[in-house]
Amino acid sequence: MASTAGIDMGIQTVKVVILKDGVVAARAKASSGFEPAKAAEQAFAEALKAAKLTKEAVAQVLATGSGMDIAPYASGNVSMMGADAKAGVFLFPSARTIVDVGAEEARAVKCDERGIMQDFVVNERCAAGAGTFIEAMARALEVKLEDMGPLSLKAERASPINASCVIFGESDVVSLIHRQESKPEIARAVFDAMADRISSMVHRLGINPDVVVVGGVAKDVGFVDSLKRKLGINILVPEYPEYAGALGAALTASSRVKGA
Amino acid sequence: MYESLAGALLGATAALGLALAGILGILIWKKDRTRKLSYLRFFIQVVSLVGIFYSFTLALWLSGFFLVIFAVTFFSGRFFCGWVCPFGFYMDVVALVRQKLGARYFSLPERVNGALNKLRYIIAAVILVSPLFLGGLTITQASGIQALFLRGPYRPIDIMLSPLEPLIVPFTGSIASLGFNSWSFSYPYARDILTYISIPNVTLVLIYVFIALTLVSTFMFRRFWCRFCPTGISIAAANRFKALKWMPLLHISKVEEKCTKCGICKRVCPVQVTDVYEQKGGDVKTSICLNCMRCVEMCPYEGCLKMNVADKTVFKTRNWLEPSNSE
Amino acid sequence: MKNVTAEKKYMPEMPQKEVEELNTSIKDASEKIIADNISRMKKTDPNRPAGMQYFDEISNFFGKRQKEIQEQKAKGKKVIGYFCVFAPVELILAADAIPVRVNSGWYDTSKIGDRIVPVEVCPVIRSTIGAKMIGLSPYLELSDTVISTLTCDGMTKLSEILSDSTPVWTMTPPRVKDSPQSLQLWKEEIKTVKTQIEKLTGNKITAKKLKEAIETMQRASKAFRRLQELRKGNTVIMGRDAMLVNQAALWDDIKRWTQKTEDLCDELELRIKQKAWACPPDTPRVIVTGTPMFWPDNWKLPTLIEEATPQGVLVGDEMCSSDRLLYDPVGIDEWTMDDMINGIAERYLMASTCPCFTSKDGNEDRVNWLINKVKENKAQGVIYYVVRGCILYAMEYTRVKKALDKLGIPVYYLDTEYTREDVGQMKTRVEAFLEMLTARVDI
Repeated sequence: MASTAGIDMGIQTVKVVILKDGVVAARAKASSGFEPAKAAEQAFAEALKAAKLTKEAVAQVLATGSGMDIAPYASGNVSMMGADAKAGVFLFPSARTIVDVGAEEARAVKCDERGIMQDFVVNERCAAGAGTFIEAMARALEVKLEDMGPLSLKAERASPINASCVIFGESDVVSLIHRQESKPEIARAVFDAMADRISSMVHRLGINPDVVVVGGVAKDVGFVDSLKRKLGINILVPEYPEYAGALGAALTASSRVKGA
Repeated sequence: MYESLAGALLGATAALGLALAGILGILIWKKDRTRKLSYLRFFIQVVSLVGIFYSFTLALWLSGFFLVIFAVTFFSGRFFCGWVCPFGFYMDVVALVRQKLGARYFSLPERVNGALNKLRYIIAAVILVSPLFLGGLTITQASGIQALFLRGPYRPIDIMLSPLEPLIVPFTGSIASLGFNSWSFSYPYARDILTYISIPNVTLVLIYVFIALTLVSTFMFRRFWCRFCPTGISIAAANRFKALKWMPLLHISKVEEKCTKCGICKRVCPVQVTDVYEQKGGDVKTSICLNCMRCVEMCPYEGCLKMNVADKTVFKTRNWLEPSNSE
Repeated sequence: MKNVTAEKKYMPEMPQKEVEELNTSIKDASEKIIADNISRMKKTDPNRPAGMQYFDEISNFFGKRQKEIQEQKAKGKKVIGYFCVFAPVELILAADAIPVRVNSGWYDTSKIGDRIVPVEVCPVIRSTIGAKMIGLSPYLELSDTVISTLTCDGMTKLSEILSDSTPVWTMTPPRVKDSPQSLQLWKEEIKTVKTQIEKLTGNKITAKKLKEAIETMQRASKAFRRLQELRKGNTVIMGRDAMLVNQAALWDDIKRWTQKTEDLCDELELRIKQKAWACPPDTPRVIVTGTPMFWPDNWKLPTLIEEATPQGVLVGDEMCSSDRLLYDPVGIDEWTMDDMINGIAERYLMASTCPCFTSKDGNEDRVNWLINKVKENKAQGVIYYVVRGCILYAMEYTRVKKALDKLGIPVYYLDTEYTREDVGQMKTRVEAFLEMLTARVDI
């Protein structure tokens, strides 16, 4: 089977996945910064080295993500929704609804058993359902981003955050601190607020089990816990959720190579 | 005897040939799709009137007509009312005169229209069971036309045939003598009024009042008499019973998706049938519809309304967006 | 609300210099956008029908048509503007006046309208207000009066706001289509407008003139439907081009428009015979339904669809600014004055699929029309397009989705604003949708 690669040109991070013989041979990422194309080249080179392949050995490269038009090496694009669907079913064959929570956007895709997307929904114009919300709240709590998750799991209950907007959410958090609510409780409230938005978005789509969550935010145990509670069903999280987009692009490249 | 029969047959064939030629002529000549069928219907009505007049002259047992009309409603609903009935024809002519004068028509409130339609069955029932109560009634009027109709106590049932009355009848005993060949002027129900309301000096006035009333009412409300005419009972009304659901075979069928509820069908219907408008697709089988097919003619959405015989379409809406005058 | 009041209730005092500056800058930008749209349409279909040239020309608001209307006004003709498809155009034509639809399609003027109404208000309304404030729209400025049908909340208040600067005649359509009072009410509105038109123009609307006007519009409907028929098979004309033809009927001389559209249809029929398709036959076929889109700026969504990768083609739509516009003719039974007024009233009320009505069957007229269109034009997907602030269309989404789900047709809800800023976001969604349609076909 031919080797293919997928490049996910995310707003914050560029991710690359290389598929060899139908399995993931390498993963690499780099910060997008001001020159995302350069970052992509860097990550691609890294992945090639880890997979022990030359660039010529890769039969096809497809790009996805918001910056897909400026991806180097790619011969075409795949929508993020399409990539998510393919990746979800590859990682969990029972997956039928894939929720992708990235840095600035969240989306949900419904697919069939082949990973062909049937319907999708995107969270409209609001960053409070995406990764930057957690970053902003972590700043307000003066907690490290990676500590937010474990911190929230310590909470016994949650103090609600009412704000519908990230900007106001920050002042909400500050007032909670002044009321001497404990940090775990506030952290849990942050994740609950996010999970609320994500869950209503998923409900708009209609939930078809099994539900898989991917994207950078899926690494956060606090968020996954809140989402489980809000959706009321078990959700599956892959080992490297942030690479789902790139994986999906590589998988689509495989099917196109086969098809051609 | 055989010569007269042969002659009659020849005459009938010639007449049929002319009629068919006329039909073909109209279908080809009249291009306006919103009126083509109406012209055809008008022509058929004229042919029917001539045919009925002719059958009056042939001394046939005219009462049999009613049985034929009644039976045919099995298959075609009130097709007779829309295409054959002379009284309907007179009403259509009045409507034409009104149009030429540019005058408007009125509509009855839907409830009143519905009530009149129910009244029809009551009137028809009264007429049909009247022989049971008029057992001993004998009509003293003696004239050759007796042989053409039901006799004795069954005579009142002939009232059901009155709409077929031509304006000129080939026998005496009607409104006024024509002055030759013992023909006289007549009008639907005129001879019934003469027969059953026999008051000297008053009866003739009553007849004239009746004529005026029917003409004026149909000037204002199209096909006014048809809304409660007892002859217009249709066995097809029995299709509310499941076994008879297939009646009448000739009916309107509607495709729900193509209907935009524009309301044209409701507006052009001369007897104010609203079922075609209100019903959501499928077969529209109403016992009021005269099968004049105006609604199918005027519906501007291709393939929305169809006239079906059982399941076969004989006529359907066409895109008629061509104005009545050519440019 | 008949006369322009001396003291403005809503419109602010703007310094003349500012008005002129805004007018010039937006007008220049608009002319560039019109030219840009047309060049992009040409690029998508290099073999674009020659008949489109006339429509390209007439699509320039600041060009030929403006001059024509000015000249006719100078000769004494009246210009009557209108907003929705409820306005009885036949009556305007019968009185020898010029009908012209004046909904605003300029993005930039909506920011000017923001000065006096909140941003939550429908952008079409805000844009119209802004256009009035700086006198941008040639047709609105040339109108002697504007007929405003109070279909939605935005229109209701727009009438008041506009009456500060122009005479406004309101028409109130009932909210329930099929009660007996509704048609009565609407007939009275039609009769009132008829009297108003006669008074303004000084011409009596006779039965003969009304018959001619109705026949003119029937012929226009015929050409309109003919164009739609030709879009049912493989694509011979791209969706944006067809939409432009449809829109041109809003402001062009209707008789000339009819003739040019018939000519275009002749050309398209020839192309069908020659199998000269405007795009590959396996291009995903999309139908858009929702709030009306107006030229020139609000060509955003059709442009995205037809320039996307993978490319899609707009094979039809269910919008009152395009494929619904002249679809329903006035059906006349007897050509008496009374019947003609009845016919006009019924056509404008009963045949409307606007969501401004409430009905027990859930605007089945619209759903049925859309389903019929999807089936006949063999559409593979529907984009449900709504501008933010349009509550009526937004609320009907669930109804439409349920009906289309039964058919297995994917529907995507896309809401946007009168802005160019979200083109990037919309592009990803549209492309994902088109990708989904392609994938479904490949199965």
